[in-house]
Amino acid sequence: MNFLRGVMGAPSAGPQPSGAETIQKLCDRVASSTLLEDRRDAVRALKSLSKKYRLEVGIQAMDHLLRVLQTDRSDSEIIGYALDTLYNIISNDLEEEEQDENSQKQTEDLGSQFTEIFIKQQENVTLLLTYLEEFDFHVRWPGVKLLTVLLKQQGPQVQQIILVSPMGVSRLMDLLADSREVIRNDGVLLLQQLTKSNAAIQKIVAFENAFERLLDIITDEGNSDGGIVVEDCLLLLQNLLKNNNSNQNFFKEGSYIQRMKPWFEVGDDNAGWSAQKVTNLHLMLQLVRVLVSPTNPPGATSSCQKAMFLCGLLQQLCTILMATGVPADILTETINTVSEVIRGCQMNQDYFASVNAPSNPPRPAIVVLLMSMVNERQPFVLRCAVLYCFQCFLYKNQKGQGEIVSTLLPSTIDATGNSVSAGQLLCGGLFSTDSLSNWCAAVALAHALQENAPLKEQLLRVQLATSLGNPPVSLLQQCTNILSQGDKIDRRGSKVQTRVGLLILLCTWLSNCPIAVTHFLHNSANVPFLTGQIAENLGVEEHVVQGLCALLLGISIYYNDNSLEDYRKEKLKQLIEKRIGKENFTEKLGFISKHELYSRAAQKPQPSFSNPDYVMFDHEFTKLVKELEGIITKAIYKTTEEDKKEEEVKKTLEQHDNIVTHYKSVIRVQDQELEELKKQVESLKVQNEQLQTTTTQQVSQIQQHKDQYNLLKVQLGKDNHHHSSCNDVVQMNGVQPEEVSRLREEAEELKHRLELLEEQLREKDSLIETLKCSPLAMETADRSSQTHRGLEVDSELHREVETLRTQIQLQTTDIARLQMEKQDLLQQMSAAPVPVSGDGGTMTAGLEGRLSALLQETKELKNEIASLTEERTSLKQQLDSSNSTVAILRTDKSTLQQEVAESKKEQDDLLVLLADQDQKIVALKNKLKELGEPVEDEDDIESGDQGEEDEEDGKEEAED
Amino acid sequence: MAYAYLFKYIIIGDTGVGKSCLLLQFTDKRFQPVHDLTIGVEFGARMITIEGKQIKLQIWDTAGQESFRSITRSYYRGAAGALLVYDITRRDTFNHLTTWLEDARQHSNSNMVIMLIGNKSDLESRREVKKEEGEAFAQEHGLIFMETSAKTASNVEEAFINTAKEIYQKIQEGVFDINNEANGIKIGPQHAATNATLAGNQGGQQAGGGCC
Repeated sequence: MNFLRGVMGAPSAGPQPSGAETIQKLCDRVASSTLLEDRRDAVRALKSLSKKYRLEVGIQAMDHLLRVLQTDRSDSEIIGYALDTLYNIISNDLEEEEQDENSQKQTEDLGSQFTEIFIKQQENVTLLLTYLEEFDFHVRWPGVKLLTVLLKQQGPQVQQIILVSPMGVSRLMDLLADSREVIRNDGVLLLQQLTKSNAAIQKIVAFENAFERLLDIITDEGNSDGGIVVEDCLLLLQNLLKNNNSNQNFFKEGSYIQRMKPWFEVGDDNAGWSAQKVTNLHLMLQLVRVLVSPTNPPGATSSCQKAMFLCGLLQQLCTILMATGVPADILTETINTVSEVIRGCQMNQDYFASVNAPSNPPRPAIVVLLMSMVNERQPFVLRCAVLYCFQCFLYKNQKGQGEIVSTLLPSTIDATGNSVSAGQLLCGGLFSTDSLSNWCAAVALAHALQENAPLKEQLLRVQLATSLGNPPVSLLQQCTNILSQGDKIDRRGSKVQTRVGLLILLCTWLSNCPIAVTHFLHNSANVPFLTGQIAENLGVEEHVVQGLCALLLGISIYYNDNSLEDYRKEKLKQLIEKRIGKENFTEKLGFISKHELYSRAAQKPQPSFSNPDYVMFDHEFTKLVKELEGIITKAIYKTTEEDKKEEEVKKTLEQHDNIVTHYKSVIRVQDQELEELKKQVESLKVQNEQLQTTTTQQVSQIQQHKDQYNLLKVQLGKDNHHHSSCNDVVQMNGVQPEEVSRLREEAEELKHRLELLEEQLREKDSLIETLKCSPLAMETADRSSQTHRGLEVDSELHREVETLRTQIQLQTTDIARLQMEKQDLLQQMSAAPVPVSGDGGTMTAGLEGRLSALLQETKELKNEIASLTEERTSLKQQLDSSNSTVAILRTDKSTLQQEVAESKKEQDDLLVLLADQDQKIVALKNKLKELGEPVEDEDDIESGDQGEEDEEDGKEEAED
Repeated sequence: MAYAYLFKYIIIGDTGVGKSCLLLQFTDKRFQPVHDLTIGVEFGARMITIEGKQIKLQIWDTAGQESFRSITRSYYRGAAGALLVYDITRRDTFNHLTTWLEDARQHSNSNMVIMLIGNKSDLESRREVKKEEGEAFAQEHGLIFMETSAKTASNVEEAFINTAKEIYQKIQEGVFDINNEANGIKIGPQHAATNATLAGNQGGQQAGGGCC
């Protein structure tokens, strides 16, 4: 009971029944009352008590409420109350503000305990899911809230229950389509809880078009200008995409990246940067980063990066980067986002290198950013972001690295000094009095050298002008100088930081570059400095520097090409043994990887330092340390003899290698030869086959010829006795005579047709004649019918002409065919005697005779054909002429018709005139009658008029 | 990329029949000989062309294991096509087809096109299920049938494309309600303009049907 009081606050005083009693009564009513109204009132009362007496209602009424949910489905009101009550007892939100720290923990327990009770029966959750399908606002809304709070309390269990209930997740997706914004928005919150760290649910939600819907909502709400709804949607999107490669792939393949671009179309005005907008934009940027995170599979990230460039998203982000009035935290996050969008993607890196700031004169964005990095007045996080951006720009970008380093080289430095170059800024940062600038510049420069041996050598050429009068110093020299004398310079910030930065740069520079090692060792002050640093027994804060010094010395040994007599490998090793001791050396070397900041930097590429003092290691550098630590330890522990042995082994290995490569090349040559020989064999085989086939063909031909020859011989013998020469031909070329006869027949037929055609033509001519005559004859009689008939005749003529033409065409084709056939015949005739000619000497003469006869015949046929064609052309001409006459006739006819029409019109006019006159005359007559004049001679006048008219008509006709 | 239509597919069938390999062969044109158990569902996509129209296929490759069955079921409703896969060298995978089909029919929309696939046709020597049996099963249940090999890529393209053709056909016939995305079909931006008229026509047809 003490516990109860604690929860309930002070117990209510007075005689009225305690809360618990009232609740018990209400519960009894819910359980026993048969009237729905009664039950409803009881549940309503429970609801109103559920906030104040949360525990009591929870304990006593839970079962009853669940039963209501099961049985009173039909009444939305009571269901609504029941759901609300359950929400109140399970949710912890309501009273939190009133509770003190101590009891808040208890209420949290309470919520999760009630949740456990609720979900113990899985059917309860399934039942709740069915209520979410109910359209009634009073049911759906509390249902959404209840499920949300259940998920909040016991996420994983509730997720599992929903996952196994059929279509559970899919049905919840329908909430996003609800037209009532309250439900839609709470639906987003529900889905947020539902998708929390459950990849299976995240995928189903994505499958049910969540991306589409959420992006639509964000667009409808006005992108970043939208309110908290946009924020909720973005959080849900993040849930769906973060660390879920399948969904990321789907997002990319669904072309949703393109839809992110408008999010970043923020105007250049400084006006609207509300807190909500900043939050929204922040989440939007993070969403972009989720898709291109360096921890994603490389293929996935690079395809997203490409898509972001192609749809203009990167370009849009770069505009924000260069815009004015953007809040610092948005700017920082934008820089980080751009960094990851370009990281390791050549196309995007190239684009980024080309971006210019809208300043006068325009400066490259990289330069502008670097200016901020080495500017100690800029916010710390911004400077870190710029460093990250620069690193990402150079990551796997040899071209970019080359461009940066080239700005430092003597040949390309801008002599006028008008514009600041990236190289100048980096050098400035390297030697400034701000330790963070030193570190950032050193690490940035190290990234320009990462995995790029040629550039490491190039950078050795860089000379720096120091104070006036002194000779120029090489960059490497200057770095070691600062390293050894650094303590004397007064600096802002941690001195360790500067040295760590420089050592990182030197280690990166010297590793895998023997020439740089030689340069480094050439300065006789360097090795004593390093051994001194390592050997000394310094405080904890110096451990990192000691470790890095050991690493640098180790690199100088491992990548030593023994070109300097004083600093050969074995000599340096002896030095370590004498001055430091091997054990001590490896212990100091181990200081690096044991440092807590080291492991943090090793986690991910983005530098994440909570404050400037923690700036110590760089991600890429940690990789280098991992790689070198073991190698160097091994190298140190090896004795000189072992070294020598190894050397020998190496040599023998090399020799072996040489031998092997020699044999390999021999084998390769032989292989090639073999290949060629094989090819030759192949081609020879083919040739052989070809030759064989030709020989067999020839043999068979010869056989044929022989057979023919024999046949001919026999025939010749027969011919001499019986047949005339003509018949001989018949037998020899069995086809020819038939064809000749057919040709003749066809020619006959053609002739016949021609005659027919001529006849038709004649008929037509006569028709034309008659036509010519007919118009004159018919004009006076019935003009309209005449034209009609004329037209008929015309069309008839046309048809005939058409048929004629087709016939002619047919003929020509026939002729062509005939010619072809004849050609064939000719060929056959010329070809046939050839094989025989060689054999039968005596026979050829006879054959030739027959042939010439045949030739003559064909010639005749040809002539016939020629004459036929001539006839045809003449026919055509005739046809053409007749056609033209028809055309002329037609035009004549049309003019006639026109004239007829004109005369008709005239006639009409005249008739009108006549009628007028008639009227006048009648009027005059009347007048005359009135006047008492006799009116006899009027008829005469009229008849005279008539006569004149007739005469006129006659004239007209004559004219026509 | 612009497309006329977007179809959602699912690939179902017993574990180890080669569902993921079919998808990998179709999307990446490569074969992964080591069986890497699919957890839940994996996604893949590719563009194809049917009758000169660009069609985007979004494919969800499901886990065959029994324990993932409830998750898999959530994908039936929103899919326009399903590839039901068995292994011709394992009789039991063929015997389970009925269960799979029941599951699919129960949870999917009725128009979903199902393609039956007998995979691993390259392992002729170890064959346990005859091609005719597959054909008969498909005929009996109204499915399209094909034998494929994800290893040699034989018939893989065809399997995915023929399914798409069938869906496309159904769209042309007006069987699918293309404006309801829950069917697993979406009209692409390339097609959006003509869609309005198409939908109008359909409406008209439906109204006409009501009259008769």
